[in-house]
Amino acid sequence: MRYEVKVPPTADGSLAVTIVSWLKKVGEAVAKGEDLVEARTEKITLYVTAPADGQLVEVLTPVGGQARVGDVIGFVEGA
Amino acid sequence: MGARRSPSPHLSSVLSPVLGENRVLKGYWLDLGLMPYLPAFAIQEQVLQARMEGRLPATIILQENPPTFTIGRAGSRDNLLVSPEELRQRGIEVLEVNRGGDITYHGPGQMIASPLLYLGDLGLNANQYLHRLEDLLIELLAGYGIQAGKKPDYPGVWVSEAKIGAVGIAVKHGYAFHGFSLNVAMDLRPFNWINPCGVPQMAVTSLEQVLGRPIPLAEVKARLRQIISDMFYLDLGDIAWADLQAIAQSA
Repeated sequence: MRYEVKVPPTADGSLAVTIVSWLKKVGEAVAKGEDLVEARTEKITLYVTAPADGQLVEVLTPVGGQARVGDVIGFVEGA
Repeated sequence: MGARRSPSPHLSSVLSPVLGENRVLKGYWLDLGLMPYLPAFAIQEQVLQARMEGRLPATIILQENPPTFTIGRAGSRDNLLVSPEELRQRGIEVLEVNRGGDITYHGPGQMIASPLLYLGDLGLNANQYLHRLEDLLIELLAGYGIQAGKKPDYPGVWVSEAKIGAVGIAVKHGYAFHGFSLNVAMDLRPFNWINPCGVPQMAVTSLEQVLGRPIPLAEVKARLRQIISDMFYLDLGDIAWADLQAIAQSA
């Protein structure tokens, strides 16, 4: 099953965050709840965590790209 | 890091959501005193991990650092205006650290507070929480008769055109960490050796400089403790790091 990696709803919905780093590469195994992405505004850093156990299969928003709260920025393939 | 565990039964009462003034969140006030940046940050990370796993309740970590420049992910050494050798001679450490923002200075007499709070308990999102931290500093300063405010495009707390307090948070699984700093009674000269937060010629000030008299840090901490307890409905007990560590390990 394919799981969406989403910017968590812990900040204002209108907020644009910049992807600072993907902590896993495409193809790497991830565990549910594990840190996957670090995104930030000027004074807020948000950690995006893996939605399921599995493998990171696609990155939609690369480092330097911008996303908003709720946006899908990648996919994890899991059981 | 694995999935979150359920809170242990004896902690479930203190982890309940805050619903109003008659519901308080029990927690700890951990004052690390003067401690270098890296070991103090390591403690913060351990407390955060224990918080996320339900092994510790809300914890406010206080610290002062020896003279240190820290450069965040948005920063560069270009905003450091003196050579690293000169800084080493003056005994000032330069660290590239894992936070947002640009370069800043930490030193004795600057109060750094990191509330490790669950935003869900507070009913706030990260932006609202960040603004509440600024409000908290403004209220603390108002208690000293200082009129401080925010600037629309520059985070932090300002007295006239000079920055007196900084804010910066990170959020993981809804748990906030990092926090804010307030220049209480410190040597401000090292700020002249950087473009603070990447802004050239940004003026900085301190509580002591604004008031023109010595201000004991202990007194400011006591006032902060009262204000933060009132603002977030916290009931905070003093604790030493060794004891907090023991609680986290036994939970």
